[in-house]
Amino acid sequence: MSTATISAPSVVAPRADYLFVSIAVLATAILVALVLLDGQPASAALVLGGFGLGVAFLKAEFSYAASWRRFLTRGEAGGLIGGLIVIAIAALAVVPVASLWPGYGGAIAPLGPSLIIGAFVFGVGMQLGNGCGSGTLYTVGGGSGRMLITLAFFIIGSVLGSLSLPSFLALGGVDPVLAANYLGPWGGLAATLASLVVAAVILAFVAKKRGANFMPSRNYIIGGIVIGLLCIGVFFAGGHPWSVTFGYTVWGAKIFQSLGFDFSNAAFWQWPGPKHALEQSVLSDTSSLTDFGMIFGAMAAAAATKRFANTPWPPIGSLLAAAVGGILMGWGARLGFGCNIGAFVGGVASGSLHGWVWFAMALAGSIVGIRLRPLFGMSRE
Amino acid sequence: MRKVYIVVTLAAIFAIVGNHLMSPSTGRAVSPEDFAGACAPCGAPCPSVK
Repeated sequence: MSTATISAPSVVAPRADYLFVSIAVLATAILVALVLLDGQPASAALVLGGFGLGVAFLKAEFSYAASWRRFLTRGEAGGLIGGLIVIAIAALAVVPVASLWPGYGGAIAPLGPSLIIGAFVFGVGMQLGNGCGSGTLYTVGGGSGRMLITLAFFIIGSVLGSLSLPSFLALGGVDPVLAANYLGPWGGLAATLASLVVAAVILAFVAKKRGANFMPSRNYIIGGIVIGLLCIGVFFAGGHPWSVTFGYTVWGAKIFQSLGFDFSNAAFWQWPGPKHALEQSVLSDTSSLTDFGMIFGAMAAAAATKRFANTPWPPIGSLLAAAVGGILMGWGARLGFGCNIGAFVGGVASGSLHGWVWFAMALAGSIVGIRLRPLFGMSRE
Repeated sequence: MRKVYIVVTLAAIFAIVGNHLMSPSTGRAVSPEDFAGACAPCGAPCPSVK
């Protein structure tokens, strides 16, 4: 008598990595508890808002760097237009509330050489680093060792940028141009939304001319709506639009200070805001709170579905690009008054002209960054 | 890479908690834009002020 063994086809169900889910949830709980002990529910809301953003970005695979690259190399505009959905939703709250409610303000910045140079350099770095400010956060949280390198050098670059910014500001510039200041809160909102429609039409026109798709994917539409709503939540909790990179600058300065560096002669660190941030707890800075939440949110979301950080380290060329890209992004973010989130999303959603200037210059910088990618063994796409 | 992540994550958590416990923390969390004269998210002054 013969026997036959029939083995059922193996179906590997997604399995949570409970160690990292626990670390992410526990870390978030600790931060929330610490700020609640200080009697700061708004700070707890910022941590939880960041956590939600980390989950949303990771699940939607929402990437500014990749969508800009797809537009520049293949003409596909869906990702870029998906990013505009975030801004349109955020603007619905930011423009009128920042104008009408005391205690709230938009993301504004002056126009000048510092903005132009900083945004351009950021765009170059974004394509080499493979992520922008928010992209770096959620991919670090998502388990990418390469992006740990990008983040480390982003932090170093932003401290260097803080030391350079005053001399670039001395080159001159124009005070912020805010739509609501000229048209009132509702006129400013209408102008902001109109500028987004014009941008979307231009992007769709370019995509169509190049024979490429311009419709955002389902992920980008749903992700864009969720991220836009979370941006509104962060705005109400923090009093300003969501920003990312100032937190990096504060972390870097605190680390350098603990190593013996003295910032008392650095002009940037004598301005009231940065001086206060350097002296106070890191949990007193709004951007740090959302940054921490975002890292742990992405970590929880990534570890909930698979074994966390289970990929090998990338080739050395890619790691070198991560380092160079990180430095350029950090330096560029300080000179350009932020990243895709603080300068572009926050700026445009506030009706501030600097957001569109930042976008144009960072897109130009991305063209250069894409051309440099092969030098590091990376594909242009 | 998992080991690196565990070390980096735990070091970061200890650093955050340590910095919070050893630094002053007065009132609500703020952004540099909340301070008088700030003209940018990092707290830079306006060109017209100079």
